[in-house]
Amino acid sequence: MEVEVTVLTRRGAAVMHRVQRASAPRIGLGRGTDNEVPLADIRVGLHIAALVQRDTGIGIERIGTSPMMVNGISVEAAPLKPGDEILLGPYRIEILAAPEGCDGAIQIELTQPIGPALERLTTTARIGLERTGANKRVYAWTGFVVIAVVCLAVPIIFFSGGMMRPWHKDATGHRVAKLIGLSWNPGQFSNAHRFFAAECATCHQGAFSRVADTACLACHAKVGNHVEHGIKLDAVGDKLDALACVDCHTEHRGIEGSLIRTAGLCLDCHRNLGETAPAAGVRDVAGFPNGHPQFRATLVADAAKGTITRAELGTTPPPVDHPGIKFSHAAHLLPGGFPALHYKEMVCADCHIAEPGGQSFLPITYKNQCERCHELTFDKVALPWPDAKVPHGDDTGVIAAVWNYYAGLALQGGATALGAPASPPVERRAAGLPPPPTPSPPPADTQAWVTAKSTVALRLVFDERRGCAYCHYGMSADGAFETDKILAAALPPKANPAPVVAPVSLRTRFLPQARFDHASHRGMTCEDCHASRQALSSDEVLIPGIDTCVKCHGTENAALRAQSTCITCHVFHRSEFGLMRMTTGTMQ
Amino acid sequence: MTISDPSAATSTADTRPTRHESFLAYDHFRHLKWATVLVLFAIVIYVAVRPYGTPYGGGWAGYTLGTIGAFLILWLTWFGYRKRNYAENHGRLAARLSAHVYFGGALFFVATLHTGFHFGWNIHTLAYALMCIVIASGVYGVFTYARYPRLMTDNRDSMTTVQMLGRIAGIDDELRSATMPLDDATVAVVGRAISATAVGGSAWRQLTGRYPGCTTAMAIAHMEAHASEVPLALQEPWRLTRLKLSEKETLLARIRSDIRYKALMEIWLYLHVPLTFALIAALTAHIISIFYL
Repeated sequence: MEVEVTVLTRRGAAVMHRVQRASAPRIGLGRGTDNEVPLADIRVGLHIAALVQRDTGIGIERIGTSPMMVNGISVEAAPLKPGDEILLGPYRIEILAAPEGCDGAIQIELTQPIGPALERLTTTARIGLERTGANKRVYAWTGFVVIAVVCLAVPIIFFSGGMMRPWHKDATGHRVAKLIGLSWNPGQFSNAHRFFAAECATCHQGAFSRVADTACLACHAKVGNHVEHGIKLDAVGDKLDALACVDCHTEHRGIEGSLIRTAGLCLDCHRNLGETAPAAGVRDVAGFPNGHPQFRATLVADAAKGTITRAELGTTPPPVDHPGIKFSHAAHLLPGGFPALHYKEMVCADCHIAEPGGQSFLPITYKNQCERCHELTFDKVALPWPDAKVPHGDDTGVIAAVWNYYAGLALQGGATALGAPASPPVERRAAGLPPPPTPSPPPADTQAWVTAKSTVALRLVFDERRGCAYCHYGMSADGAFETDKILAAALPPKANPAPVVAPVSLRTRFLPQARFDHASHRGMTCEDCHASRQALSSDEVLIPGIDTCVKCHGTENAALRAQSTCITCHVFHRSEFGLMRMTTGTMQ
Repeated sequence: MTISDPSAATSTADTRPTRHESFLAYDHFRHLKWATVLVLFAIVIYVAVRPYGTPYGGGWAGYTLGTIGAFLILWLTWFGYRKRNYAENHGRLAARLSAHVYFGGALFFVATLHTGFHFGWNIHTLAYALMCIVIASGVYGVFTYARYPRLMTDNRDSMTTVQMLGRIAGIDDELRSATMPLDDATVAVVGRAISATAVGGSAWRQLTGRYPGCTTAMAIAHMEAHASEVPLALQEPWRLTRLKLSEKETLLARIRSDIRYKALMEIWLYLHVPLTFALIAALTAHIISIFYL
C-alpha cells in the first residue's frame, strides 16, 4: 500500500507542510527509524501503530501498549476514512482524502511539543523555602495575634468580667478562668494562700493597683498592732499608720511564705527611734549582730511588791534577779546525783519541762518540780497518817495544819494514852544533815500538849536547814524566819494569821520583747547557752546575752552563720497591743 | 556630617569592614566589647543587689535587668528589620549585623538574670523560652553564615543556579536524541528522567538534599541492570545515554547541595522572625500582667 504523509509544523503563524510518500504492505508508525512514518519523540513507542490495507480502504492497528484513540475512542484497530482523527501520544493524525495513486493520505502534527528544556526545568524546579508555601510574615503575625489574644486579651477580659472570683464564692465552672489566671502567675504561691490562689480577684481587687489592705483583712482581721494604740510617735507613727500590708508581705515568692524578711524594713524606723520617737522607749538598732544593742532581761525587782525591772545582760557586775526564792542550780546538778535519796544525777529536763510546742517551758511549780524530792512531811512516827504533810503555797495554813494533826492525834487518845509522845517527832531534813536537838518534855494538858507538839514540829517546818527557810524567805526585813515570834502569835491557831513566807515570783520569760524557740535549738545542750552548773543562787541570771547568739547567728545574708533578721527573734504584730487595723474584716 | 568633613570621612573609612572581614570582627569587635560590658553589669547587679529571699524579676535590680532586656528585644528587632535593608551601604549593614549578634547574645544573659532562675508554666517563662529559641536560632544563623557560603562556593564551581539548570536542560536535550533508538522500557525511564527532574521541592527535600524518587537515579539503575542485554547495534546510543545520565546526576547532586545550603541558611529565619513577633506579644503580656494585677 502507498500512503501520502504530510507532516504539519507550525512556527507561530506560519504553517509548513512536508509531504512524502510511504510505501509498504504495512505502514509502521513509531519512534523507531525502521518505521515508514517515524515519530521522533521519545514519548512515543518504538513501534506504536501501523496503517494497513483493508477491503474498504485503509485501517489502523495498535502495536504495543501505548494508547491509541480514533475519533476520541480508545481502540485496538479501526477502519479509517477521510476526516477521522487519531491521537498517538503527542501526535494528532488526520485522515485526508487519498490523492491519485495512493491508498490513503494522512496529516501528522506534533500537537504537544516538549518545549524548551530550560523553561520546563525552571518551571518545575522549586528552589527556596519561600516556594514551599512557608511564609514568615504569616507565621509571625499568627504567633503575635495568638499570644496577644490568649495570654493578654483573654485574661484581661476574664478578670474584668469578674470570672476570677474570690475563693469563697462558688467557683465551679471556672476552671478555664483559673487556668487563664494561673498563666499570669509570676511565681510560686505561699503555702497558706494556695487553696484560693487560682482566683486572682481574691487579692487583686482592681487593675493596675496594689493589693489593698481590705483584701488581706478579709481573712486576717485580728492581726495585732505593732505599738500600743494612743502612743505618740509623731512622724514615725504617721509612717506606721500609712504602712500597707503589702509593704511587708508579698506573694508569688515561693512556698515558704509571704513575709518579707529583710531587716531594712524594720531598720527604716528603728535605726534612730531614740531621736524620732523617744516615747517608744526603744533603743536604736542598726542591724544584727553589729548594731544591735545588748539584750535587756526582764527581771523581778521585788517579788513581794510584784515589780519588775529591765537589766542589760553582760554587765559587770552582772544583773541580779529577785524571784524571792533560794535556789542553787549548782547544788542540784551535782555530779553523781543524790545516792542517799536514791536519786540519779539531775539534768535540766528533770525540772524544765518543755511546752507542748517546744518553744518555751512550763512554769516551775513546787508540785511538779520540787515535791518529789522535797516532801513536806514532818512527823512520820508519831502521827498515824504516814503521808501527813503541810500544804505548800499556803503559809498561814501550815500552822493550822500542823496544829490540827496533833489535835487529831490527841483526840484519838494519843496524848491521854501516852501522857507524852512515845518518841519525838521525826524531823524532815536534807540528806547528810545532823539530827535536830531533842525536844522539850510535853505539857500535862491536851491543848498545851498539842501546842507544844506543834511548836516543836513547826520549828522544824520553818527551819532554814530543813524547812521553809531552806528555799523561802521569811517576812522579816532581812528575809529571816522569826520563828519564835511567829509561833507565839500563831499558836494556838487564830483567825487571819499573818503571812509567814515572803512571796515568790518566778519568771517564765526573761526576754519578752523577743521570742526564742528552744525546740529549734534542741540539737544543742542547755549548757551551751546557760551556765547553770556554776549558778549557786537563783539571783544569778542565766539568760545568755547577744554574745552567745552571735556565735551561731549572723546577718540576714550571712554565709557561714545562721542567717538572722529582725523577725527571727522579734514579732511585728503584737496581739497584746490590739488590732493592727481597726477595720473589721469579714469573710465575704 | 558633611562630605567635606575629613575627620568624619576617615572615621567611616576606619570602621568599614574590608571585603574579607567578617561582620563578627567589625570595628575590632567593638560590639562584642560593649555587649560584654553589658553582661558584666548585669552580673554585678545580680550578685550585688540581694533582694529579700532569692533574686527575682522584681526589686530595683530585677526591674533594671528587665527594662534593659525589654529594650534590647525591641532594639534588636528594629535592627533585624533595618539590617535587611540592603539598600544601605555595606559598612552600616555590617555594623548593624555585628550589633544584632553580640547584643542578642548579651540579651540571653540579661534576661536569664532577670528571671532569677525562677521558671514555671506561665506567660513569663513563655516569653523567656521564646526569647531563648529566637536567640538560639540566631546563633544557628551565625553558624550558617560562617559555614555554608564557603561550601556553596566550592560546590558551585563558579556556576550560578541558572547556569546549572541550563546545563541540565542541555543534557536533557542530548538525552532525548541519544536515547531515541533504545528500547521502549529504557526510553520510558529515561523520558521520566528528562521530564520529571526533581530540583528542589518540599522543605524537607530542600533541607536534607535527599530525593528518594530521583528519576535520573532510577534511569541509571535501569540501565545498569540491563546493560548486558543491549544489542550490538544499540551499544553506542546506550553508552551515550548512560554517559549523559551520569553527567546529569553529577549536576543534580551539585544543584541539590546548593539548594540544601540555601535552605539551611534560610530555615532558621522561619523560627527567628515569627518567634520574634510571638516574643514581642509575650513580652507585652508579661509586662502588662505584672503591673495589671
